Amino acid sequence: MALLSGGLSFLVTIATIGCIYGLLTLGLNVHYGYTGLLNFGHVAFFAAGAYTSAIVTMPPPSTVTNASYEIWFNLPMPFGFPVSLAAAAVVGGLLAFLIGLTSVRLGTHYLAIATFALAGVFSDVLVNEAWLTNGSFGMNSVPKPARAMLSADAWQLAYLGFAVATLAGTYLVLTRLMDAPFGRLLKGVRESEPAAKTLGKDANVVKLKSFVIGGMIAGLAGGIYAHYLGSVVTAQFVPHVTFTVWAAMLLGGAASNTGAVAGAFLVVAFEESTRFITTLYNWIQSVLPEVLSGILPALFGPLPNNPSFIPSMRFVVIGILFVLVVRYRPEGLFGDPAEIDALGEED
Amino acid sequence: MTGNSPTEDSPAGNGTDDSQDLLEVDGIVKSFGGLVAVDGVSFGVEEASITGLIGPNGAGKSTLFNCIGGVYQPDDGEIRLDGEPIQGRSPTEISRRGLGRTFQTPETFRGMTVRENMAFAAKNQTGERALGALLRPGTVREEEAAVQERVDETLDFLELDHLADDYASGLSGGQRKLLELGRVLMLDPEIILLDEPVAGVNPSLTDDLLARLRELNDRGRTILFIEHDMDVVMENCDRVVVMHNGQTLASGPPEIVQEDERVVEAYLGGYD
Amino acid sequence: MVLDNLLQTVVFGLIEGSVIAVGAVGLTLSYGVTRFINFAYGEFLTYGAYLTVFLAAGLFGSSLPLPVAAVVAIVLVGLLGVAVSRVFFEPISQRGALPLLITSIGVSFILRNMLQGWVGVSAKQLPVPLMRRQDYFGLVRLTDLELGVIVVGVVTMLAIHLLLQRTMLGKRMRATSGNRSLAEVAGIDTTNVVRQTWFISAAAGALSGVLYAVLFSPFRPVVGFEYLIVIFAATLLGGIGRPYGAMLGALFIGLAMNFGSTYLSANYTRAYAFLILVGVLLVRPEGIRGGEF
Repeated sequence: MALLSGGLSFLVTIATIGCIYGLLTLGLNVHYGYTGLLNFGHVAFFAAGAYTSAIVTMPPPSTVTNASYEIWFNLPMPFGFPVSLAAAAVVGGLLAFLIGLTSVRLGTHYLAIATFALAGVFSDVLVNEAWLTNGSFGMNSVPKPARAMLSADAWQLAYLGFAVATLAGTYLVLTRLMDAPFGRLLKGVRESEPAAKTLGKDANVVKLKSFVIGGMIAGLAGGIYAHYLGSVVTAQFVPHVTFTVWAAMLLGGAASNTGAVAGAFLVVAFEESTRFITTLYNWIQSVLPEVLSGILPALFGPLPNNPSFIPSMRFVVIGILFVLVVRYRPEGLFGDPAEIDALGEED
Repeated sequence: MTGNSPTEDSPAGNGTDDSQDLLEVDGIVKSFGGLVAVDGVSFGVEEASITGLIGPNGAGKSTLFNCIGGVYQPDDGEIRLDGEPIQGRSPTEISRRGLGRTFQTPETFRGMTVRENMAFAAKNQTGERALGALLRPGTVREEEAAVQERVDETLDFLELDHLADDYASGLSGGQRKLLELGRVLMLDPEIILLDEPVAGVNPSLTDDLLARLRELNDRGRTILFIEHDMDVVMENCDRVVVMHNGQTLASGPPEIVQEDERVVEAYLGGYD
Repeated sequence: MVLDNLLQTVVFGLIEGSVIAVGAVGLTLSYGVTRFINFAYGEFLTYGAYLTVFLAAGLFGSSLPLPVAAVVAIVLVGLLGVAVSRVFFEPISQRGALPLLITSIGVSFILRNMLQGWVGVSAKQLPVPLMRRQDYFGLVRLTDLELGVIVVGVVTMLAIHLLLQRTMLGKRMRATSGNRSLAEVAGIDTTNVVRQTWFISAAAGALSGVLYAVLFSPFRPVVGFEYLIVIFAATLLGGIGRPYGAMLGALFIGLAMNFGSTYLSANYTRAYAFLILVGVLLVRPEGIRGGEF
C-alpha cells in the first residue's frame, strides 16, 4: 500500500480505532453510566455486529480460501454497506435483548457475572459454529466499501471521515436521549429501583431498553470495525475488549458522553503507542551518557524477550488505570462527582 | 380538624364492612421464615380521609405497607383499591392504579438533583420513550415545560424550592422525607401512603408538613400514614387504625380509639 | 456398556467437581467477609499452577519435589492474596461493593498480565508422569492422579468444615460474615479476620489451580481467568457466601459439564456450567441453598 507518511498514517489508524472504541464506550455508558447495569460482556455485542456485517457481505465460500461458512449474502458494495451496518446494529441490539431478558431481573453482582459468562458462552459459539462464523479461521474477505474507487490513502481518510461522522451522529442522538425524560428514567432506575417502581415506572423494561440501545451501538461499532479491517476473527473478541472499554469509560467519566469519547481516544492512543516502548527504551539508553547507561538495565533489566511482553504491559497499565480511577477519581475526567459518588454507594 | 369528620364508627378490628372505602385491607398475613410479621390485619381507608396507622415497634406496620405497595406478596388475604384486588401485583402496576407511597427510610435518587427527582415521577411523558424523545422534540419540550411548572409549584408548596438544583445525596433526612412526599405528589395518586412522614423532619417544619397534608386532604386526597407520635395522630387524623403484634387492635375515630381499653393497655398504657 | 459410560462420566464429573469445589469454597469464603465478587480470584488459580511449575523446575534455586513445590506455591499465593487485599482492597473497603468489584477487574488485569509479560503466552505443564487408568470394581477407570485429586478435594472440604466449625478463626469468620459491625462490637478484630480469610481464600484458589493443572495440562496464563466462569457458576449456584452451598454447587457443575461434553458436545463445556446457572438463577435467584444475596 502506498501509505500516508508514517506518522500521519499512524494517527489516521488511531483516530479510526478511536472512533470505533468511542462508539463501544458510548454504548457501555448507556448501560453502566446511565442505568447502572454492570455489563461485563460488552464484547459479545461488538462481535455480534462484526460477524453480522461479515456474513451479510462476504462473497461465496467457493471464492475464499479456508472457507467453511454456509451462510452468506454477498451484498454488493457500496450500497450494501448501510444495510450491513444496520443489520449489525439490529443483531447487536437483538443479542442485548436476549441477554437482557435473562439477566435484567438479577441483582447488580449477579448481572455482572451473568453478562461476563454469557459473553464467554457467545465466544464459544463463535469458535465452534464454523458453518456460521468460519470458526477460528475467521471471515477474512469482508469487503471494504468503495475501496476500488479510491487509493489506499484516500480510502483510509474517507473511512476515518465516515467513522467520525457516525461517532458524532451517535453522540448527538445519545445526548438528546439522555437530556430528555428518557435519560432521567434511566438514571432513576440506576439510583433506586424500588423508588422507580413505586413511582409507576417498569424498571425491568427500562433496563431492557437500556440494554438494547447500548447493544445496538456496540453492534454498529462491530460493523464499522469489520469493514475497516476487512476481516473478523474470533481472537479479536476476547474479554480484554470489554474491559478496555470499561477502562475508557471510567477514565472519561461514567454518565458523561463527552467523557466516553475522550476516554476511548485516550485509551486507544495509549494502547497503540505502546508499540514504541521498546524503541523508546533503546533510544533512551543510546542517548544516555556512558556513566548512566547502566542504570536502566539495572533498574528494569533487559526487557523480557518475548513477543507478548509489550501487549501484556499494556494491559497491566489498563489494570492500574482501573485501580487508580476508582480510588482517586471515581468521576473520571468529565463525570459529575455528585452523581458518581452516589453511584459508588449503590447497594 | 379539617374536612371530613367520620360519619360512622366501625367496630374495632373490622373496618372492611364499608363498601365506600377506597382502600380495603382484608385479613392480610405475611411471614418471613417462621416469623409472622403481619397476622390477619383488616381495616378500610375511607375516600378523602386522613387515616393514621399506629402501633408499637414491630407491630408490622411497614411490612403491611410493603404488602399494600406490592414490594412483598402477602401470604394470605386481600387488598382492594377502589374495589379491585391488588395484592400480589407489582409495585409498578399498583402505582399506576393510583397508589403513591413513601418508604420508612427515604428512597431518593441520590445522584440526581431535587428537580430531577421530582420530574421523574411525572406520568405519561412522550420523552420517556426513546423514539418519542428523538422524533418528537416539540411535544417533549411542551410536556417538559408543564412538568417543570408543576415541579416548581410542588417545591414551593413543600418549601424545597431553594434546594431545587441540589443533589438529593446532600439533603438532610427530613428534607429527603419531604422530597419523597413531593415525588408522590407529582405522581398525583388517588391515595397516598406515607411511612412516618414527620420522623426526622425538623420540628419547626413538622407542623408545616402536617398542615400541608391536611391541605392536600382538603383538596380531596386520601392519606394513610404511619406515625409514632400519638399527638400527631390524634390531632390530624379522621380515623385511626391501631396495629399490635401483626393484628388490628382497634380502628375508628381518634377520640373513640383513645378510649379503647385494649389500646390503652397495649399501646397507650401510661402514655398520658 | 451404557452403564459403564454413565458411571465413568459421573466419576469424571466428581473429579472436576473436586477441582471446582476447592476454588468455589475459597471464593465464597472471601465473599462472606468482604461482600464483593472478586474477579481477580482466577489469578490465584493461575499463580498456584505456575508457581508450582517454577518451583518444581528449580527456578528459585534447587528444584523441589512436586508435592513440596505445590505446598510452597499455595502458601506463597495465600500471602499474595493478603498483599493484594492490603494494597488494593482495604483502602477502599468503606466505599461499598461496586468500587471493590471494579477494582478487582483491574487487579486481575495487573496480576495476569504481569505473569504473561514475564513468562509469555506459551503453554506450561506440571511434571506429572503419564499414567495408565486402572480398573476400580470393574466399573470405572481412573489414574492414580485422578484419584488423588478427588482425595485432595475431599480432604480440603473436610478441613474447611473443621476450620469453620471447630476453630476460633472459623467462628470469627462466620461472625464477621454474618454481621461485620456486630462482630466488631463483640470484640472481634475483623480487619485481621478479613486478612486471614484472604490467605485461606487465595490459598484455596492456588490449590484449585494446582489440581486443575494436574488434570488438564498444559495451561496458559489465562487459565484461571477462563475458569472463573465455572467457579462463579458453582459459587452462585450454591448461594454466594455459603461454603457448603459452594461445595454442592461445584459437584453439580462438575457433573453437568462432564455429562454435557460426553453426551452433547465437548465444545461447550463452560456453556453447560453457565446455562444451568442462568436457569437456576431465574427460578431461584438466591441459589440452591437459599438465603439472601
